[in-house]
Amino acid sequence: MENKNLELNESMDIINKMINNAKSKMADDGFLLIFWGWVVVAAALIHYVTLKLNIQHGEYAWAILMPLGGIVSAVYGYKQGKKEKVKTYVGTYLGYLWGAFGIGLVLTLVCMPQYGIKVTYFMLMILYGVATFVCGGILNFKPLIIGSLFSFACAFLSNFCGEMDQLLIIAIALLCSYIIPGHLLRAKFKSQQHV
Amino acid sequence: MFKELDPILHSQLRLAIISLLVSVKEAEFTYLKEETGASAGNISVQIQKLKEADYIDVEKKFKDNYPLTICKITPKGISAFEDYVKILKQYINTK
Repeated sequence: MENKNLELNESMDIINKMINNAKSKMADDGFLLIFWGWVVVAAALIHYVTLKLNIQHGEYAWAILMPLGGIVSAVYGYKQGKKEKVKTYVGTYLGYLWGAFGIGLVLTLVCMPQYGIKVTYFMLMILYGVATFVCGGILNFKPLIIGSLFSFACAFLSNFCGEMDQLLIIAIALLCSYIIPGHLLRAKFKSQQHV
Repeated sequence: MFKELDPILHSQLRLAIISLLVSVKEAEFTYLKEETGASAGNISVQIQKLKEADYIDVEKKFKDNYPLTICKITPKGISAFEDYVKILKQYINTK
């Protein structure tokens, strides 16, 4: 591109092209959605299987996998931040959203002894639903919004189940609200990298 | 009687830079270079002109020991861009 004076239509074309270029870059590659989806599914299923087989301390799966996931996310976020050449408003809003989600998640887990496991699992699925619903809205990505509705439905259904079955319902909620939309988001992100 | 188009924005590269910056929070020099396909020297000159007009803020810092230039559109730049688009539409609609 040179620095020449413009015809009127050329001006409009440049404005449209540049704004579209900037807007079309997805702010989220779906990696963390997929990653956290599988981490939580793994923890829930390990806990479920250990309960089923009467193996003690299956809940340690959460205690081990969650902090590990936190470390991986922090390293990933740091590396992505270093690579980032542009800060978008969408990226900023997503940062606030997941920040609020993280605080809500930690508070819910800290208060678990007071409210019990059943209420905690319910709250977790509500939090997953809220986060993916808003994320889907910000990114204008419908699979996330649809997935979040599954998470809300799972939260509601979990009220009628025992604590053990709630673990399976959490796994289903994460599959629908994180893993499947995460893979679709990643596919969309990758397709835009080749444009 | 139409107003005149802002001469600072009515140039291919400066208009491209402002159009990119109006869509994002802030952008590195290399991002502007990649998206516009212009040479580094040319971009530097145009960024300086936009900065002198107070249309953009330019922050220079270091990242991994390499110089890093970050550009951000100012409220004056947003207003100038909006006026430019408004006048441009008037011209195009009467053609």
